[in-house]
Amino acid sequence: MDQGRPDVRAADPLSEAAAPLGDAAWRARRRAERTRAWLVQGALALLLVAVVVGLAHNVAANLEARQIKSGFAFLRDPAGFNIGELLFEYTSSDSYLRAFAVGMANTLRVALCGIVLASVLGVAVGFMRLSRHPLVLRLGAAYVEVFRNIPLIIQLLAIYLLVTQLLPESSAALSAGGLALLSKEGLQVAVPQQGGLALLWALIAGAAAAVLGLHAARRWLDVGAGLVALASGFVAAAIAWVVAGFVLGWSQPVLDGFLISGGASLTPEFLSLWLGLSLFTSASIAELVRAGAEAVPAGQWHAALALGMTRGRAIAGVVFPQALRLAIPPLASQYMNLIKNSSLAVVIGYPDLVSIGNTSINQNGQALEVIVMVMAVYLSLNLAVAVVMGAVNRRVTRAPR
Amino acid sequence: MHKPTLLSAAFAIAAAAFSLPAHAGKTLDAVKARGQLVCGVNTSGPGFSNADSQGRWTGLDVDFCRAVAAAVLSDASKVKFVPLNSQQRFTSLQAGEIDVLSRNSTWTLTRDASLGVVFTGINYFDGQGFMVPKKLKIDSARKMNGATVCVQAGTTSEKNVADYFGANQLKYKPVVFDTAEAITSAFFAGRCQVYTTDMSDLAGARTKAPNADDYVILPQVISKEPLGPSVRRGDDEWFQIVRWTLYAMIDAEENGLTQANVDQQKTANKDPNVQRFLGVSEDTGKLLGLDKEWAYRVVKQVGNYGESFERNLGPKSPVGLPRGVNNLWTKGGLMYAPPIR
Repeated sequence: MDQGRPDVRAADPLSEAAAPLGDAAWRARRRAERTRAWLVQGALALLLVAVVVGLAHNVAANLEARQIKSGFAFLRDPAGFNIGELLFEYTSSDSYLRAFAVGMANTLRVALCGIVLASVLGVAVGFMRLSRHPLVLRLGAAYVEVFRNIPLIIQLLAIYLLVTQLLPESSAALSAGGLALLSKEGLQVAVPQQGGLALLWALIAGAAAAVLGLHAARRWLDVGAGLVALASGFVAAAIAWVVAGFVLGWSQPVLDGFLISGGASLTPEFLSLWLGLSLFTSASIAELVRAGAEAVPAGQWHAALALGMTRGRAIAGVVFPQALRLAIPPLASQYMNLIKNSSLAVVIGYPDLVSIGNTSINQNGQALEVIVMVMAVYLSLNLAVAVVMGAVNRRVTRAPR
Repeated sequence: MHKPTLLSAAFAIAAAAFSLPAHAGKTLDAVKARGQLVCGVNTSGPGFSNADSQGRWTGLDVDFCRAVAAAVLSDASKVKFVPLNSQQRFTSLQAGEIDVLSRNSTWTLTRDASLGVVFTGINYFDGQGFMVPKKLKIDSARKMNGATVCVQAGTTSEKNVADYFGANQLKYKPVVFDTAEAITSAFFAGRCQVYTTDMSDLAGARTKAPNADDYVILPQVISKEPLGPSVRRGDDEWFQIVRWTLYAMIDAEENGLTQANVDQQKTANKDPNVQRFLGVSEDTGKLLGLDKEWAYRVVKQVGNYGESFERNLGPKSPVGLPRGVNNLWTKGGLMYAPPIR
């Protein structure tokens, strides 16, 4: 293939002139070139380091000159404030570091829940937009246009306002047979007592069902076995969890003064943020699914239908797997957007990383350090998403066509 | 080879370019050159700083900004108000974006000693309290076990409420918002049973309720919240000007000087204290880097502390707070200013 490319050595007049020593001279020059390249690269790297060190030094000197406390020692001091939503034990006498961990856990929680719900809604609405049924098609289009075109912050405020205005006071909570309470305090649902044990059962049952499902599905399906395995895993886990509830007994939400004790609780802030992020992101995901499906060549459709497949079978077996391949890279950036957008939590009072960071900045005044930490966390979360989605993408593109 | 020298030159340039510590600068000169005082105030604090529909600012903290402008620039109207939320306030002052922070901020050791700012005095003695809906029939702070509490991010309130509930072994769930507007809308919608902040803020927030009579402010005060203006560290001259402007407003009230009578008193009142204060006999302004009529202008253009209080927070204002501990020391309050002499 490279027959048209000129020979570099032959074109070099110097090496041609010194024919007997040609190779040695050429090699020496190559070495010199390489050394020079390394030196230039090294000098640039050093300059970059010098700039960074210089900036850091300048910041430190300025903070010192203005008598502003700096450094990360504050992380071990007691935080002194309480946090409304905890995934693990935390009190106001715990350290700032632990408070940050709580904030990070809350961010992760809403981001993961959001990614799952946004994906499910997005794929469903994406299929609606491929439908031949005019009502379904229009509904899908309306959904996308509404949720994609209103700024997320407005959607969040609207949802939060609706939740806090419309829901009843905790004393008059909507009750579903004592198993769930819905009020201004949020959604409380009954959970099995000894939640950890029940969760363990559910995980084991789910994993077993997923493995069995994968094996069974592979025998009669060439595509979508993974999805079947995932679905059967979830269903088995849910059944095991409910069974655990009946065996171990239920912890039901009970109203006691203002306090609703027992059960698991989702606050209005979490619900609003989760819903808002999911709706907003799902509209974009729906468009990715539709774009992916429409990018699959029409010949594939015709071939699938000509083979006697139903329209649904053609979508699930032929079009969707190929659409997925196209949709995964932009999907990754939608997931990253969702994680970044979760920082809007602060406007509706959900204690995410940014909210905890803001509070910390005000309690100890060390804005620079806290902002650097918050940036580092979001960067690492998004890099993790990039790595995972990169792996998924490689896996999907490697699959046989 | 010449590379090492090039490299060291690059180092030197980098070092020179990036490591010059910024000079704090003379705030007084900067303000005079600009012809305008830049004052950080609250985004929405009825009685302290509040902008009406025409963008006119009113409030106790706003009056203080005007007083500084009257003393320094001879014109109380030469103020640019920068509304700041509780998280922006100190950073904004540190960064030099504002000359004075007059935004009902609590004076604490941590803030005074580690934020690069320094408090100049106290213009309102406050304390943290609780507001609850009347229908919940809570008459004491101790009956709030398990309540959901709305609180503003980055305030001393956030820590005080943790301390108070912890000390009384009561449980609560904080819901933290970053602006006062977000809190009041969530609280009046019924998201929280309790709203906690400084008593004066609660009184202000209550004026914004759909029906103020549905809400009651509990009598318990759980903390000391001395509110006052602050300035950047490292400019003692400016610090003195801001501090003594506040004292001038308090001293004026003690000496019976008001916006209405100050011109007449200037000639009629032969009390040496008044003569000195108004710059008739002595030039106190020279010591501060100002002219001799600085305090006269504060009273003439803005009024004394009591007038400002009555206008913005007093019983006849919408906020309707009693003077209480913020009365003069001669009338059983805590307001006390060192003599201007």
